[in-house]
Amino acid sequence: MAPSLPLRAASDLPAPPGTSTWAADATLVAQLRQGSEAAFRTLVARFQDQVYSTAFSLLRSPEEAEDVAQEVFVEVYQTINRFRGEAALSTWLYRLATSRALQHRRRLTTRKRFAFFTSWLGFADHSLPEPPDHTHPLALLEEAQQLELLRQHISRLPPQQQVAFVLRHEQELSYEEIAAVLNTTTAAVESLLFRARRTLRHHLQFSPRHV
Amino acid sequence: MSDSDFHATSDEEWAGLMQQLRRQPRAQPQPFFYARVRARLATQQAAAIAWLPAWVRRPAYAALLGALVLAVSGDNAALRPAASASQSDGYQAGQPTQLAPR
Repeated sequence: MAPSLPLRAASDLPAPPGTSTWAADATLVAQLRQGSEAAFRTLVARFQDQVYSTAFSLLRSPEEAEDVAQEVFVEVYQTINRFRGEAALSTWLYRLATSRALQHRRRLTTRKRFAFFTSWLGFADHSLPEPPDHTHPLALLEEAQQLELLRQHISRLPPQQQVAFVLRHEQELSYEEIAAVLNTTTAAVESLLFRARRTLRHHLQFSPRHV
Repeated sequence: MSDSDFHATSDEEWAGLMQQLRRQPRAQPQPFFYARVRARLATQQAAAIAWLPAWVRRPAYAALLGALVLAVSGDNAALRPAASASQSDGYQAGQPTQLAPR
């Protein structure tokens, strides 16, 4: 379960005093700024599952998700002084995880296209890397197949819709929390989710009555 | 089967699929994730230092390089020999410079 985040209003304004999560975050950030090794260890332990699973949901590859999660924590360590505390720490981490995962995917796509181009021209003789197949034997069952199909279609959504959908349905964040991560409004998140669900239902052939 | 029944079924199917998605176990990193993050940090920090060639990092070479830069970039009046300095002192604009007798 992801740690609770303050509401949208709280992401733009400092949280009211006495908010335990906010206070814990502030203490942790202060210790990190002083270069505390223990604080960094605590940060990683507290948020590693959240960061990793978000990256995994967007990339569907354990290796890529691991790479992105490491990159996020290294960036946090190196840029903690730039964290102004206007948003919750977990919001910042979700923001880094989603943006780095999307960047990573763009790089992979570019590399793959380049590899295709060079192999087509005969510069490279090696075969093209194929995405790993993580299909479990249970995927033979209808439900699992449906879920796998859903995941394939999620990965084809436009990036913003994909992030909103993953944060809502896999990370179980509220609309306000998603808005804070995407740095947008709750209405925009509703719109993103509406379009994402409509597209997915269309592809999965669920006729929408209300999405 | 009426149209509303069909929609109700598809809504239920969709809700069921969403529940199924939520029930999936959350992906977790492999054990010793922190150790791997620390190792990556160390590698990056080492790489940031190593981008300079080794000789630049040695103070003696750096001082020599600094002196060389000063010598070639300034008007090097301080380094000019006294004889040539007195020669150029005799120069006045618009008048030919008198050459020293041989």
